Amino acid sequence: MADTIISVKALKKTYVNGALETPVLFGLDLDIARNSFTALIGPSGSGKSTLLNCLGLLESPTSGSIIIEGRDYAGQELNSLAAFRNSCIGFVFQFHYLLPEFTCLENILMPSWIRAGKPGYDLESRTLKLMDRIGILGIKDKYPEQISGGQQQRVSIARALVNKPKIIFADEPTGNLDTETGEKVLQLMKEINAENNTTLVMVTHDREVALKADLIVELVDGKICRYFNILKKGSAAIAKELEERACKI
Amino acid sequence: MAKNNYELMIAVRFLKKGRAQTLLIILGIAMGVAVQFFLASLISGLQISLIDKTVGAAPHISVLPADSTPEQLSPGVNKDSRKPLYSEKSEIIAWQQYAIDLKADPLISLVAPVASGPGFIERGGITVPVVLKGVTAEGLQLYKVKNSIKEGTSELAGDTALFGKKLADKLALSSGDKIFLRNNRGEQIFVRVGGVFDLGSAAGDELVFLSLDRARSFLGINGVSAIEMQVKNVFSAEKTARRHARGLDRVKFVSWQEKNRELLQALSSQSSSSNTIQFFVILSISLGIASVLGIAAVQKQRQLGILKAMGTTNKSAAKIFIFQGFILGLIGSFLGILGGLALGVMFMSLPNINFGFDFSAGMLLTPVFFAVLASTIASTIPARSAAGLSPIEVIRNG
Repeated sequence: MADTIISVKALKKTYVNGALETPVLFGLDLDIARNSFTALIGPSGSGKSTLLNCLGLLESPTSGSIIIEGRDYAGQELNSLAAFRNSCIGFVFQFHYLLPEFTCLENILMPSWIRAGKPGYDLESRTLKLMDRIGILGIKDKYPEQISGGQQQRVSIARALVNKPKIIFADEPTGNLDTETGEKVLQLMKEINAENNTTLVMVTHDREVALKADLIVELVDGKICRYFNILKKGSAAIAKELEERACKI
Repeated sequence: MAKNNYELMIAVRFLKKGRAQTLLIILGIAMGVAVQFFLASLISGLQISLIDKTVGAAPHISVLPADSTPEQLSPGVNKDSRKPLYSEKSEIIAWQQYAIDLKADPLISLVAPVASGPGFIERGGITVPVVLKGVTAEGLQLYKVKNSIKEGTSELAGDTALFGKKLADKLALSSGDKIFLRNNRGEQIFVRVGGVFDLGSAAGDELVFLSLDRARSFLGINGVSAIEMQVKNVFSAEKTARRHARGLDRVKFVSWQEKNRELLQALSSQSSSSNTIQFFVILSISLGIASVLGIAAVQKQRQLGILKAMGTTNKSAAKIFIFQGFILGLIGSFLGILGGLALGVMFMSLPNINFGFDFSAGMLLTPVFFAVLASTIASTIPARSAAGLSPIEVIRNG
C-alpha cells in the first residue's frame, strides 16, 4: 500500500434540524494514497459531496476520525482550521465561485493574499506561469463575468493550486461545462496533479470522468459500496464492471 | 512582508463594485454630517457671539464692598427722623492689596479698580444725570474703549473725560469741548471731552470715563467702589470668583454668570435641543448604514462562503464589513464637512446675519468622530452575520 495521506475511520454524519435527524454517512472507512487521483461516485443523495466536504474540513462529522498527514481533524472547530485549509487544501467546485469584484489574476492570488498579504514579485510571476500553463494568461486582467465557463473553471483550478496545497478537493468540476470543455478541464487537472504531486479527490456522477482516476469509490446510501482500483485492473475492465451491475448493499 | 490587510482590500472592492449602494449611503452620511456640523457651528457661533456681546466688553467678575447695596437699617424701628433711612457704605478701602492678590492669579487676565458714582451735566439749560466711572488704563482696556472710539482719543489725561456716544449726541458734545461736571454734593469740576466712544449697549453709551484719581476725589471716595476683572476663560469666572471669595467677608465677588442666569439657562437649553437633534441624526445615519451593509452581507454570501472555504477566518470576514463601515463613515463625513461649510458660507451671505459660525477644529472633528464611530458600530451587525456564515451552506446551496 502506498503512503496514505488521508485516512477516514468510522466516519458518521447526521444532519440535525430541530427534532428531525437525517443520517447521511454511516460509518465510512477510507484510505487515500498520496499523489493519487480518487473519484467518489454514486447516485444523488448517496453522501459523496458530504464526504468530500467533511474531508475538506468544511463540515464537521458527527463522529469518527479524519486523519490528514497523521493528525486527526475531526471534531475540531472549523474556524480554527481556516489556516490549515488555506495552506494545505485547494477546492474546485461545480460553480466556479470566483469573486466578481476581482480580476482573474487577483482571484487566483486570493488564497495567498489571505495567507500572507499582498504577494511579492516571485509569487506573481509563478502565478503568471501557472496561468500560461493552464491557458488563461490572456484573460488575467478580465473579470469573471467577462470570460467563458471553461475559462472560469480554469481560473478556479489555478486558484486551488496557488498556495501549492497537498490535496485538492473537487466537487463536480466539469458538471457545469459542455463535454468538450469538461474533457479538457479534466485532462488539465490530471496533468497538474501529476506535475505538482498533489492528491486529487473528486466527486463526479460522470462515469467517463471517474474512469480517469486511479481509484473509484462508489457510495450508495451513505455507505461505501465498492472500490475499483483502476491502476491494477485497467479502465476497460472497470468500465465493464460498472456497466454490468448496479451496486447493492 | 507587509502586514496582511487583505480584508481592507476586499472591503474597498466590495464598496467599489456596489457603486450605487455605496454612493447612496455616503450621500446619507454626508447629509447627516453636514446638518450636524452646520447646526453645531451655527449654535456655537451664535452662543459665542451672544456671550461676547454680554461679557466681551464688561467685567467677568466684580469685587464689591460686602454691603454696597443700600439696605434699610432696622426696618420698622426708624424713630429718629434725623438719621438717614439707608446706609450706603460703598467703598473698598484696602483695594490695592486685593488688586495685588488678584493680579497674581494666572487665570485672571485683567484687574481694574473702578470708582463710580452719579454725576450731573448742565448744558443748554438742561440737566442730565450721568454715571461717572473713574478708571485706570486697565479699565479702558476692559471696556474695550480703544476699539469703540468714534472721535478723539481713547486715552485719559488729567483734565479729560471720555463720553458715551448717546450722551454726547444728547448734549451735542464733540472732542475738545469743555463742560462742567457736578456731583451730588453740588461741587463742580471742569472737564474737556477727550473722545467719544460707542460700546454698542444702552447702558455703556451713557457712561462718562474719568481717570481713577480724579473720580475718587470728585466723588469723595477714599478707596474704590469696585475691582473689575476679566478672566482668560469666560466660563471659569464663577469658579474663580468663588475661589477668591473664600475667607473674605468684607468684600463680595459677583461673576457675570450670576448676573446673567437667564441668558445662560437659554443657552444651555438651546445646546441640549441641538444635542438632541444631533443625536437623532447620528442614530438615523447608523440605522441606514446597518441596514445597507446588512443587505450587502446577504448579497455577498457567496463571496464570503468561498473566502471562508479558502481560509478566511470568522474574524476576517467580520473585519471586511467593519472596514466598509469605517470607510463609508470617513468618506461620508469628509463630504459632509464640505457640505456643512458650504451651507455655512451660503447662510452667512444672507442679509441680517450678525453673528459668526464657529468653524473650529472641535466643531469639525466632533461630527466626523461620531459619524465614523457610528458607521463602524453599525457595521458590526452585518459583520456578525458574516462571521457566523458557514461556507458549506453557501457551497451546498449553489
